[in-house]
Amino acid sequence: MAIATLTDLTYWYPGRAHAALKNVRLAIEGGLTVIAGPSGGGKSTLLRTFNGLVPHFHGGRIAGKAEVMGFDVIATPTRDMARHVGFVFQEPELQTVYNVVDREVAFGLENTGVPRREIAGRVEEALQAAGVADLAGRAVRTLSGGERQRVALASALATRPRIVVLDEPTSQLDPGGAQMVLAAATRLVDEGRSVIVSEHRLDRLLGHAAGLVLVDRGMVTTADPREWRPPPPPVRPARSTPLGGEAWSLHSVSAGFDGQVVLDAVDIAGRSGEVVALSGPNGGGKTTLLRLIAGSLAPLSGSVARGPGRVAYLPQNPTVLLHLPTVRAEVSFTLERSGELDQPERILNELGLLTMADRYPRDLSCGERQRTALAAVLPGSPALVLLDEPTRGIDSSARGALVALVARLRDRGASIVLATHDEDLRNALADRVLNVANGRVAEMALAVTP
Amino acid sequence: MNARAVAAWSAACLFVVLSTTNPVYKLMVLAAALSALAAGASLRRIRSLLVAVLLISAFAIVLNFVSAHLGTTVLFELPAQIPALGGPYTLEALVFGAIGGITISAAILAAAPFSVLLASHEVMDAVPAPLSRTGVAIAASLNLVPGVATSFVQVTEAQRLRGWRPRGPRSWMEVVVPVVLTSVEGSIQLAESMEARGFGSGARTTMTSHALQRRDWMLVAASGLALAGFAFSHAAGWATDWFPYPTLTFPTVDLRPIAACLLLFTPVLVWRSRR
Repeated sequence: MAIATLTDLTYWYPGRAHAALKNVRLAIEGGLTVIAGPSGGGKSTLLRTFNGLVPHFHGGRIAGKAEVMGFDVIATPTRDMARHVGFVFQEPELQTVYNVVDREVAFGLENTGVPRREIAGRVEEALQAAGVADLAGRAVRTLSGGERQRVALASALATRPRIVVLDEPTSQLDPGGAQMVLAAATRLVDEGRSVIVSEHRLDRLLGHAAGLVLVDRGMVTTADPREWRPPPPPVRPARSTPLGGEAWSLHSVSAGFDGQVVLDAVDIAGRSGEVVALSGPNGGGKTTLLRLIAGSLAPLSGSVARGPGRVAYLPQNPTVLLHLPTVRAEVSFTLERSGELDQPERILNELGLLTMADRYPRDLSCGERQRTALAAVLPGSPALVLLDEPTRGIDSSARGALVALVARLRDRGASIVLATHDEDLRNALADRVLNVANGRVAEMALAVTP
Repeated sequence: MNARAVAAWSAACLFVVLSTTNPVYKLMVLAAALSALAAGASLRRIRSLLVAVLLISAFAIVLNFVSAHLGTTVLFELPAQIPALGGPYTLEALVFGAIGGITISAAILAAAPFSVLLASHEVMDAVPAPLSRTGVAIAASLNLVPGVATSFVQVTEAQRLRGWRPRGPRSWMEVVVPVVLTSVEGSIQLAESMEARGFGSGARTTMTSHALQRRDWMLVAASGLALAGFAFSHAAGWATDWFPYPTLTFPTVDLRPIAACLLLFTPVLVWRSRR
């Protein structure tokens, strides 16, 4: 029997002429259901219909029927659906209400009026179900990204929902953190709950999936997860120019914050036309290293040298860049400031953004924003390109476009440093891989031969 | 440590320090607040607070010293032709400024346990039930504050590398706008997360009990006695006020208001360290 049924469901966000979901007919059975599709296709919107955030929280217009666990979602407020449907969002930092793990997990129980004498037991049960019983009593700010996301999962589980919905829960996590979250999600299925999860890296999940739902441009179709084949990884672009001279270097550099040393005695350098990939766990120091190379962070000791030319820097949270009314204006802004004569349309075309060039960047999906931020920092001819998790939230075709763009910049002599958990991106581009962990930077063997 | 007991103690401290001009009683409140914080937190945790309090006090002293050319004990004099600064600089003005600094410091430190010793959820749990949803919303928004500071650093760095330079107030719009937009989006996502976890669905319960323990009752009782004792001393004329102008004299002190002030040191006995 279906746990969720959508019948001819069409939904428009407020002020939009085009529907985000179009005539969706879908029945979700129990077990693990994976939602896949390109970024901006409507996956997050679809997920939000299962607990009524669409339309109750987001507003807009809706037509058709949505029934989840026997409840008419359109007529039932999200706060009431919360007892039956747990929801985990993409960014763990932006779903934390309290600053202690136990209280955070208890939040939903407090809201739904569970008697105090029951709350502690339910919190313990939820922490165990999410595999984080050992985190009880910890301050949330001391947790890693993977731990935070599993605490978010425990918070969603505390109300004992029959359905748990996860919206790209691993997009911010390192492979270890992602594995922990997905293992917790699949364990829930083994315990008899229904889990609906959207992911770009389907290979991690489809072995456990009972259903596969594909969402593209608001259209929803289903497929057999057993017949799904992963898209081929991006091809490694051939190099057209040899490596140049030293473009940047760090000599005996130590760096840190608030009296804590994050990187210690680092001696590394990069050359023009070279792609260096930084690997390592969340919190290991990759972003600190990028900021040192960019000159945004002063070292505690040692020296940093950079060659002449523009530095293009994509921060880990690309949204912080975006402040102009259109995608095109974001690209033009960088070109004007750098005095370079390039057409914004060139990079917009390379990243598949031409059709949304006149849209407001903050109205775009997570993956589209990421591509917009890439377009905003990479036009023209930067001498040094520093990209912090550039494939966050983007789909395989966008990843291919990014590989081609980075290869073009590399062949024009740019020195490139990527901090990434994305193994396919690393294999497609890296000339060298540096592992950044526990304050140290060490060279790693390449998985593929350049 | 119960936030309601802490509130009773803070209220008593604030009442005493703001209801008298006598520096002896003000100094006692300052000492009580400092010792209470030291009992509950390590020096490392309160170091930045103490530095801020010292700076604010120094500013209050300097401001009064250079602006109030009153009193009879002239330390030095600047020519009257100098606008605002010209005139006699007196010991009385310096002392009055110092009393102002003590008042501000004592008030800040008396309220500091709410941020230094208590977690935001402990404070919000103490909010009366009809206001509990408001309390939770405030607690949640407080969690976003560090994120705003982080956004500011990230945006400034990112925009600098895109060629932005601070050139007057208008140029800061290129930093302020994304910081504000990012913060607003963060707030909306947090609100969405709260809604998805049933916020606003009916009467709330809380995980922890708000009942006062014996130690909390001791603090409430001591704070109540201190407040009532000092108020009575003031009304009876035992806790006399004091002014340094026109000529500096020693303040008059009475044992009864001193005893009331000593009760404000109770946290030293009842608070366990939260280092």
